[in-house]
Amino acid sequence: MTETKLPDFETMTPADFEQYLPEIFANGDGRVSTDPRLQTFLKNNPDCAALVRDLETIADQARSLFDEPIDPSDAVWTGIQDKLKHASPDDEDLAIPQTV
Amino acid sequence: MDVQGLQMTQTTPVPGVFKRNPPIAGEAEAIEAAKNGDAEAFSKLYALHKRRVYTLCLRMLGNVSEAEDMTQEAFLHLFRKIGSFRGESAFSTWLHRLTVNLVLMHLRKKGLNLVSLEETINPSEEDAPKRDFGSRDLQLTGSVDRVALERAVASLPPGYRMVFVLHDVEGFEHNEIATMLACSTGNSKSQLHKARLKLRELLRQPDLIAQQDGFKEVTV
Repeated sequence: MTETKLPDFETMTPADFEQYLPEIFANGDGRVSTDPRLQTFLKNNPDCAALVRDLETIADQARSLFDEPIDPSDAVWTGIQDKLKHASPDDEDLAIPQTV
Repeated sequence: MDVQGLQMTQTTPVPGVFKRNPPIAGEAEAIEAAKNGDAEAFSKLYALHKRRVYTLCLRMLGNVSEAEDMTQEAFLHLFRKIGSFRGESAFSTWLHRLTVNLVLMHLRKKGLNLVSLEETINPSEEDAPKRDFGSRDLQLTGSVDRVALERAVASLPPGYRMVFVLHDVEGFEHNEIATMLACSTGNSKSQLHKARLKLRELLRQPDLIAQQDGFKEVTV
């Protein structure tokens, strides 16, 4: 895997920042807003700082998408039972019970 | 049935939802009994893991009907392959990997050529995120409503959604995603970034969510 060369953080423009942001996110620990190398740039470019905050918020909140797992409908288990009941003993790799 | 790319040998656990869960009481006994065809053990394994498997499918597919179908397939496949589980990693991690691979195979069958991710499932121009990162007055307020995020993720174009869910929700690394989707790590990074930009756009303008092609209701 070859790493993309990052721009000079002291001299980069907002356009450079936008271009390399996927790599900047991937190279660090995912926290661009607290990267010491970027503090001056972000302070001088509040729009870029706002973008970073928003993207970090989205990434953080993504982990909450499993906080409340959802039950499938009863039809799923009914369908599984039905398929198991009609499985042939000759089916490949059958470890399936014949009565469910 | 074979699952392309399925790692039936135990791999490094992923830091996603399944890794966060401690061992479940009675699970080990149920696994051993299920290997011998014990029907009640199968039922118990389903009860223990159905919610996580279904939620994973729902996040990856963004569609209730497809998610239920894939949940069914995942457990049928589990029942067929449980004899190959050797306990070298958590059962939930193994089941998680099995489910992810089944969903990816399902998407390939549907015609989403994940091999050429960039060319084939890049969204159209209207789906692509806008390059308007300078709109501070519309910035998110530091938190995102979970339901709004669920709806926004479900409305993402499939290529964006897949990489976003695998990386930001499931915790896979870019090199793992690149292997699973047969694309470059750079491609994975780029897709993830575009997905986050698109989500930002959708969350700042909720009316856009309902307009997205392929939006499916995820509330159950």
